[in-house]
Amino acid sequence: VLVSDVETGVRELLAAALGRDPAEIAALPADTPLFNGPLGVGSLTGVRLLAGVKDRFGVDVVAEDLTLESLESIATLTRYVAARR
Amino acid sequence: MIKCVVWDLDDTVWPGVAIEQDVTPTPYPEVLRAMDVLAGRGIVSSAASRTDPSLTAAVTAHPELAGRLVAPQLGWGPKSEALLRIADELGVAVEALAFVDDSPFERAEVAAVLPGVLVLGPDELRLDRPEFTPAVVTDEARARPRRYREEQARRAAEREHAGSREAFLRASGLELTVGPARPEDVPRVAELAERTHRFNTTGEPWPADRIASLIGDPGWFVPVARLRDRFGEYGLISTALVERHPRGLAAWQPRLFMVSCRAAGRDVPRAVLGWIMRRALADGARQLLVDLRPSNANLELRLLLRGTGFTAADPAAGSPAPGTVLLARTLDSDLPEVPWLRLIEECS
Repeated sequence: VLVSDVETGVRELLAAALGRDPAEIAALPADTPLFNGPLGVGSLTGVRLLAGVKDRFGVDVVAEDLTLESLESIATLTRYVAARR
Repeated sequence: MIKCVVWDLDDTVWPGVAIEQDVTPTPYPEVLRAMDVLAGRGIVSSAASRTDPSLTAAVTAHPELAGRLVAPQLGWGPKSEALLRIADELGVAVEALAFVDDSPFERAEVAAVLPGVLVLGPDELRLDRPEFTPAVVTDEARARPRRYREEQARRAAEREHAGSREAFLRASGLELTVGPARPEDVPRVAELAERTHRFNTTGEPWPADRIASLIGDPGWFVPVARLRDRFGEYGLISTALVERHPRGLAAWQPRLFMVSCRAAGRDVPRAVLGWIMRRALADGARQLLVDLRPSNANLELRLLLRGTGFTAADPAAGSPAPGTVLLARTLDSDLPEVPWLRLIEECS
């Protein structure tokens, strides 16, 4: 499985967690920050996102990344998931 | 510990069946007395009745019951579902409910579907039961019945509000009063440490006498935050135990930070954290260090800390206790602010 497939999946999960148009999320640069800026992930949407990542990729970010360093941008979360699945 | 007693109405709260009578029946005086004694201990009363839902209006306008019952559920559905709705409306666990009903059938239904609920017949309801006798009744606990009613008004207003969530919060008149803890706040601070799980950095209990000793200690800062809005008072909903300049560092270090979950939805964790950061900065700190015991239970708080810029601390900042991580954030820019919360600072 290609890293680009993981990135596509991460973007789809982001759109679902935020309740936003998937096409809009797909068009954002990979270094878009998750928390501030146009995405604005919050506590509840973050919980949904990580549950989705665990379901789809089998990577338990909540249990493995204790300081949640992987949640910097679309690209950092993609790299974290791609390296562990 | 029980936080809410859910009463059946017909033949439990009052004699007979209400829909078979022309006027709403008069409640048994001993039931009203029991409700008042429980309220004095911080235990609210609600109702679950299998009857015509249109009777709800008569109950919520009833001169003796309106002020005593929160979130009454009248309808034809199973009582277990009514109890789940009550737990949800009050924001308490199903295990914090007791259920009183004269009908063995209804008692069996609730006991089978919700085994965590304390199910009692009217003759088994004794006020000296240990489940109804908390060791310490804090002011916060005593104010709980009033708070649940305010929370219901708040939820109804939010449901009916046409605009965005942010517009609703802006219109709510939220005021956060922050300042150093006083000795009389100690029992509530200890209670929060014990009872909060979701917005609690470590989940470690701190004994009240230890907290009391930190309040007067110049090496520590113990802030408390109270919240109110146009619907009423939330009370003391956030606190922290902050070590000033630990190990000679230019830093402040909350060893514990917690927010009651009933205030968390109003962005209070972010507002209190931002205020602590500003106080730290004014005290010469250049970073905030946070002890965190990561778990599934406090994931929302972990996400909030990450979203406000916290990452793993430099190992030189100190070694975390087993099972914990040390987070750090510099205080040089973008300190968190919550525009719809008016912050009122009490003098030290």
